[in-house]
Amino acid sequence: MQGPLIDTLARQGVTRRTFLKYCATLASMMALPPAAGRAMAEAMAAARRPSVIWLPFQECTGCTESITRSHSPTLEGMIFDMISLDYQETLMAAAGHQAEAARQNAMKDNAGKYLLIVDGSIPLGVDGAYSCIGGRSNVDILKEAAEGAAAIIAMGSCASYGGIPKANPNPTGAVSVSDIVKNKPIVNIPGCPPIPVVMTGVLAHYLTFGSLPELDAKGRPKAFFGETIHDRCYRRPFYDQGKFAKTFDDEGARRGWCLFELGCKGPVTYNACATVKWNGGTSWPVESGHGCLGCSEPDFWDAGGFYKALSVPANPLKIAATAAVVGAVGGVAVSFANRARKGAARSAHETTTLADLEK
Amino acid sequence: MSLDAIPIHVITPTPGEPGLTGNAPPLLRELAEQVKRLLASGEASAIDLSALPLTPADLDWLHDKLGNGEIAVTLQASGESTLNETACPGVWWVTHHNEQGVVTSQFIEVAFVPELVKAHPQDVAIGLETLELLISDL
Repeated sequence: MQGPLIDTLARQGVTRRTFLKYCATLASMMALPPAAGRAMAEAMAAARRPSVIWLPFQECTGCTESITRSHSPTLEGMIFDMISLDYQETLMAAAGHQAEAARQNAMKDNAGKYLLIVDGSIPLGVDGAYSCIGGRSNVDILKEAAEGAAAIIAMGSCASYGGIPKANPNPTGAVSVSDIVKNKPIVNIPGCPPIPVVMTGVLAHYLTFGSLPELDAKGRPKAFFGETIHDRCYRRPFYDQGKFAKTFDDEGARRGWCLFELGCKGPVTYNACATVKWNGGTSWPVESGHGCLGCSEPDFWDAGGFYKALSVPANPLKIAATAAVVGAVGGVAVSFANRARKGAARSAHETTTLADLEK
Repeated sequence: MSLDAIPIHVITPTPGEPGLTGNAPPLLRELAEQVKRLLASGEASAIDLSALPLTPADLDWLHDKLGNGEIAVTLQASGESTLNETACPGVWWVTHHNEQGVVTSQFIEVAFVPELVKAHPQDVAIGLETLELLISDL
C-alpha cells in the first residue's frame, strides 16, 4: 500500500503517459522550465506517500470544496494518491472518538514526519471558545498537532492571514496559523478559496525535492504568487494602451478592455488565477468580466471597496518603464477622478458601502 | 410573435482590431535558436505557451505561421493530447486537454520526437511480458 506512487497509479489504470502529461501541466503551472515535468514525474513516481493530517478550524469548507471538486476524477484521485490522508473531517468516514483516535494515531506513528494542513482561522477570544472540536479549542488542537509536524500548509486566506473571520471588527479574535506557530516551516496558500493546483504543486514539490518550495515575504510559494494578476492578465495590453471599461455594460466591457477603473485589484494582488484559471481551466473572474477582489492578499475584506479603482497605480516606476505612457496617464487620471468623486477616500482601508457596490 | 418584438441588439465584431499584441513574432526567433541547438547538439527544448502573455489571436497567428506538417499524434490519456508536427520539421505544437476538453497546457516542443511519444523502457518491459505470455499460450 505504501509502495512507489507509479505502482499505485498503475493499479488504478493511470498510465505513465497520463502521469507525464499531468506533470508537464503541473510544471507549467509552477513556472518551472518545460523540461522539469519529466524530472518531476520520475521523482514523484518513485516517491512514497507522506502522512497528512488536515485540520479545519474557523472556516466555511470552501477550501476543501475547491480541492475536492477540482479537475476530473482521475486527477483529483491522483492528488489523494500522492498522500496518505489520515484525518480530514469533511471526507473521513469515521466520527466521534474513532476520528479523534485516528488523528492521535497518525500523529504518534508519523511523529516529526507528517504534513499538517490547516484551513480556517483560529479564534483566540474567550480562551478560544468560539470554535471547538470535541470539546477542545482550535488553538489547543493546532498547538498539539503542530508539535510533531514536519511542515504546515495554511490553506486559504483564513489560515494564512485570518481571512474573513478576522475582518473588522474581528469579533472572535481570529488569527492566522503563523500568528500561533513559530517554530515550524509554514507555507501559506491564500485565496478565497485557494487555487487547487497550488496545493498539488506544493505537495509535488515536497515529494520531488523533499523540501518546501521557495516562499515570498508573505510565506507564499513564489512559483504561484511571484507575479501579480495584473502582470499576467490577458487584458494587460489594453491597460498599456489606456483602454478601460467604464461600466460593466459599456463598449469597453464588451470589447474586453481593462477593468482597472471598475475596481480590479489585479495590480496589487499576487496569485496565479490569470494563468491557471478556475473550474478546470474554464475561466477566471477577469475573463468573465469582473475585476479581481484581491482575495489572496491579507485583509482583503477591509481594503476599501471592491468596485473602487485603486487610488494610485501599483508600483508606478515599473509601470512607467514597461507600459505605454497613455496607460500610466490613464491610471493617474482615474485616481484623481475617483478621489474627487469619493471625497473622503483618505486611505485604502475603509468599509465597503452600498454606494461602492452600486458605483 | 415575430423576432422583431424581442429587443435583441446584435453586435457584429468590428474588423481592424484582431487582438494581436505583437508578442508572438519574437517567438519565431526563439524557435529558430532552439532548432539550431537541436541540430548542433541534439538537445531538445520547449516553449511553454501558457506562461506567456499571448491572446487567442496571437496563438492563432503563431499556429497559422508555423503551419501543419506531416505527422499528427493523438494521445488519449485522461483527456486528449495532440502532438502535431508543424511545417518546420522538428517543431511540434503540443496541446494537452483535460477530460472536459479544456486546454490545460500548451507547448511548442523542439525535438526530433517529443518525449511523450516515446515508450518508457519499464512499459516496454511490461509489453514484453505480455508478448511472452501470448507466445506461451500458442
